[in-house]
Amino acid sequence: MTLRHMLTGAAALALLAPAAHAERGSDGQVNVLYWQAVSIMTPYLSSGTKDLEAASLVLEPLARFGPDGQLVPYLAEDIPTLENGGISEDLTTITWKLKEGILWSDGTPVTADDAVFTWQYCTDPDGGCAQLPNFGDVASVEAVDPQTIKVTFSVPKPYPYGPLVGAQSPLIQKAQFANCLGVAAPTCTEANTKPIGTGPFVVDDFKANDVVVLSANPNFRDPEKPAFANMVLKGGGDAASAARSVLETGEFDYAWNAQVEPEILTAMEAAGKGKVVSAFGTLVERIQVNQTDPDPALGEERSTVKHPHPILTDENVVKALSLAIDRAILIETGYGAAGQMTCNLVPAPEYNASTNNDWCKTRDVDQANKLLDEAGWMMGSDGVREKDGKRLSLLFQSSTNSVRQAAQALIKQDWAQIGVETELRNIDGGVFFGGDPGSPDTFQKFFADVEMYANNFDGTDPEKYLGDWVCSQAPSIENQWQGNNTSRMCNPDYDALHAELGKTAGQDARAKIAIELNDMIVNSPSFIPLVHRGRVSTKSNALGGVIMNPWDSELWNAADWYREKS
Amino acid sequence: MSDAATPLPRAAEPLLRVEGLKMHFPIYKGVLRRRAGAVKAVDDITFSVAEGETLGLVGESGCGKSTAGRAILRLYEPTAGAIVLEGRDIAHLEGDALRTLRPKMQMIFQDPQASLNPRMTVGSIIAEPLDEHTRQSRAARRARVTELMDAVGLNRTFVNRYPHEFSGGQRQRIGIARALALNPKFIVCDEPIAALDVSIQAQVVNLLEDLQQQLGLTYLFISHDLSMVRHLATRVAVMYLGKLVEIAARETLYDRPAHPYTQALISAVPSPNPEIEAKRRRIVLKGDVPSPSNPPPGCAFSTRCPRVFDRCRIETPPLYDLGGGHRAACFLAEPAARAA
Amino acid sequence: MFAYALRRLLFAIPTLLVISFIIFALLDLSPGDPTANLPLTIPAEVREQIRISLGLGEPFHIRYVKWLEQFFVNEPLHLIEQATGWSFGEGQRMRVISWQTRSPVTDLILERLPQTLWVVGLSYLVGILIAIPIGVISAYRQYSWFDQFGTLFSMIGFSAPTFFTGLLFIVIFSVWLGWLPSIYDTNLRVTNAQTLWLQIRQMIMPVMVLALFNAAQLSRFMRASMLDNLGQEYVRTARAKGLRERAVILIHVLRNSLIPVVTVIALGIPTIFGGAIITEQIFRVNGIGQLLITGIQGADIPLVQTLTFMFAVLIVLFNLVADLLYGMLDPRIRYE
Repeated sequence: MTLRHMLTGAAALALLAPAAHAERGSDGQVNVLYWQAVSIMTPYLSSGTKDLEAASLVLEPLARFGPDGQLVPYLAEDIPTLENGGISEDLTTITWKLKEGILWSDGTPVTADDAVFTWQYCTDPDGGCAQLPNFGDVASVEAVDPQTIKVTFSVPKPYPYGPLVGAQSPLIQKAQFANCLGVAAPTCTEANTKPIGTGPFVVDDFKANDVVVLSANPNFRDPEKPAFANMVLKGGGDAASAARSVLETGEFDYAWNAQVEPEILTAMEAAGKGKVVSAFGTLVERIQVNQTDPDPALGEERSTVKHPHPILTDENVVKALSLAIDRAILIETGYGAAGQMTCNLVPAPEYNASTNNDWCKTRDVDQANKLLDEAGWMMGSDGVREKDGKRLSLLFQSSTNSVRQAAQALIKQDWAQIGVETELRNIDGGVFFGGDPGSPDTFQKFFADVEMYANNFDGTDPEKYLGDWVCSQAPSIENQWQGNNTSRMCNPDYDALHAELGKTAGQDARAKIAIELNDMIVNSPSFIPLVHRGRVSTKSNALGGVIMNPWDSELWNAADWYREKS
Repeated sequence: MSDAATPLPRAAEPLLRVEGLKMHFPIYKGVLRRRAGAVKAVDDITFSVAEGETLGLVGESGCGKSTAGRAILRLYEPTAGAIVLEGRDIAHLEGDALRTLRPKMQMIFQDPQASLNPRMTVGSIIAEPLDEHTRQSRAARRARVTELMDAVGLNRTFVNRYPHEFSGGQRQRIGIARALALNPKFIVCDEPIAALDVSIQAQVVNLLEDLQQQLGLTYLFISHDLSMVRHLATRVAVMYLGKLVEIAARETLYDRPAHPYTQALISAVPSPNPEIEAKRRRIVLKGDVPSPSNPPPGCAFSTRCPRVFDRCRIETPPLYDLGGGHRAACFLAEPAARAA
Repeated sequence: MFAYALRRLLFAIPTLLVISFIIFALLDLSPGDPTANLPLTIPAEVREQIRISLGLGEPFHIRYVKWLEQFFVNEPLHLIEQATGWSFGEGQRMRVISWQTRSPVTDLILERLPQTLWVVGLSYLVGILIAIPIGVISAYRQYSWFDQFGTLFSMIGFSAPTFFTGLLFIVIFSVWLGWLPSIYDTNLRVTNAQTLWLQIRQMIMPVMVLALFNAAQLSRFMRASMLDNLGQEYVRTARAKGLRERAVILIHVLRNSLIPVVTVIALGIPTIFGGAIITEQIFRVNGIGQLLITGIQGADIPLVQTLTFMFAVLIVLFNLVADLLYGMLDPRIRYE
């Protein structure tokens, strides 16, 4: 990433912001609805999206990600790069400069000590910090001077924008949290629910899992912002009624996460009171294809790399399965504005997305049948293909969720057309994603042939996410079934290239490798992309300044929100 | 009602006159609950009760005698007929007109347990009619309650007790005290002793007799117990399947019953006189009482009558006057038949 | 009666201990995991650390004893300290802390109680006020048009689930007519006539949805009880006394018919405290019911355990209250 890139990004954002027609607090109250109610205002003790986003109104990081995935400086003066010397040549340190004169909402100045304290707070072994991965490989955070923060990594970090960047790791005030380290962390109810921050709003009243009342931060660095004097963050209910309260009754200005059947949402939007807004991050609904044999006859060794899958290691078979799926119907019925076509594992940001894999976007049953014929799977008398006396029959599992079950049923139909028999199964999400090594039903144990779920990564850099696909990440008895390579793909070339990514700095160079890695996965028999899922929220026509952002909190620019004059 | 219809040759107007009283209960059937017929619980009965006398009303259970008693006291709205109390037809009075009449006529119920509100104390049970119908002071009311309790032989300290704390006989005394509260003239005793132990029965009957003498009460005494009726009543009426089959002075009825049904009933009563008892021949009736919703044609008793003949199954016999106030509804009692 | 109540309360203690153990064991055996709902981006080691920080590293019996201590010793002591300003002993006592919100469970419950009592409690009251006249008139005029209508009403009220009636109400009154708010504002403070009006407006729909449901059940019960008593001999006695019909019905029949209904009402009171999960969700009343359901969804075991146990206490308590009420209302019943 070059400085020029960043400056143009910032300039574009500045243009998007409303002309300075408002003064602080002149637009009254804005009502925001989070149907998953906010539980806590400290992102370090919760990683629920709703909590992170609520906290983003109050707590700010050094830099946030903009809607295009580029970094935007918040508390920092600018974004450190190799070019501007902010990142050391050996890639082990990054040095941030704080903006001048930034105050906490209680009027005290923000200093580098607060950043150091934030790191200590999250890395305390007894604290159970949920954002620990953001501080991975951090050897130390030092206050070089009150305005300068130096983060030192124990290994070279080609992508050093993890600590204190993005909605997951904002700065907290040392003075307020000093007695809340380690085991004391959960007992600091006052600090956890009413943190002192630098953001546009401060918490006036907090009712856990119900409602948060905020008011404009008198010490916010931009004296004209926020335009709203108050914000009410109400919680509870379900997604459909949340969308209704914006689109139909107009009681609320903004409702987060409109996970509603597309046709219902369209009907609500027709009332003309508001709009559906969406943004696409990295979340991809996919089918993971088991490369190992889940046959129960294998006992202990079922679904382990010792036994390759008898059918699904053939890339032509998996390609045929992928070609047979009608993705357009899946999107139309299940996702609407929240879904778009993709054939990638890393679909965004744009500079990281591959453009080489568009073949999956059009359904081609003939080609799929041809591929299966060529692979030796011949149509049997009952419409199911066979090879060497073995039927092409798959067990397809997913978590319990109406959209997923509908998609499973559609895919089963699609596959029946190419002579593939599918048995469907769904497992409660708490169990499926629960990771309990004692349960046979976790997505990691993968005692099935194919499984559907969605996954994404935080921020814009896919290194760690792509790292889930290396051989050593395959779940096994040895690692308590905790690896993330659920497909158990193992390609030494891939592992080598991923290691290369770990040594490469610079956005463009990293993007080139990321795209190559993405293509290797997409063309392997271990992955079938389905839908690129976005965030969908609803906003009232009376609310201006909303820019959906898939890379950071949806409320990332709440300081710029204003009342639309009608 | 017209004088021409008055069949009773009495000089003085009786206290109560019942003329052609009918009490039919409709039966509804089907989805739309259409009226499908009626239970003729009381079907055209006529009699009168003179002041100060006790008319016994007897019959098997289900014959309609209790219904008749309740209809006379206007606890039901009669289907047809006249009920003349002290010269005024009360058969179709309603609302306040009927309510203000209540003090004159009262009822003593069969089941003393069920007929007393379980959540009221004895005092309030007895006092309630006083509250409703008189304007007495509290003290006067309380005095009246204790007076009544004394009159029926209840310990006056029990005034704040609840009905369940009393024995059956005591409860019936409460019921009697309650009925007497407003100085009624006419009391319907609806099987007042049927639910009591035999040892208690006599006490209650004696109490009723004493009260009648002291207060000059007139009773309609409904019972299936013929020996008790013989003891108490001055005249006796016999009902079968909603109809009056015979009515006569006590001695006449017990000595010379005219109707085969009455004969059968009386034959079942043991006599205290060993000579008569030795000669007593019991007439056993066969079969069950027909349903009042579907009575047999002709004489209602024809299905069980030991002396039935063809005419009985076709024609309904009227009440033939046998003289001396003795009347019976049987063709055998027809003057022509007797002459033959 | 007092001795009886005391004896019953003493017997309740072992019962409640067993219940608390069963709840604890069931929650422990259930497959929920407090970290299951975290994004997949959180690595397993971090999940494990979070679990340990929540106390899940300890064996089952230790956790149970700890909960017992927190709930039965620390929480009451805390409440007393809060109320009186005294302090017992030294240092921080561990209170029952919710995993999801990291705040003390009893504080959460106390925070939620007002709206639950207002909305669910009021709906119970309104339900009773609707049900009793309907039940009385239906029974008094059995098979009349009113009775038929009452039967239809209670059948609909009973069989239409609150998530349906609630939604229907919102669509009609909030979306089409725009008369009432569809979202309950728990922060509204009633300070003057205007805020009172706002409070009434926002309570109408949730209260009515629940009240109709409650009334449907209770009115049937009332009707049956009235019919039972209307056929009793003492009613005929009352009429024979020459009482006004109104007095017969209200003083004699209604009072006797209310005895079993009052018992049913008393037994239903714990459900008020339990909130009404669905209705609270629909209208975002965010009371106890919503607290429970978010606790369940988030596998917040201390919260669910404490709430469920408190419901158990209330149920045991109100069973006793119902029994004692019965004894007070019906002179035929005596407890020794």
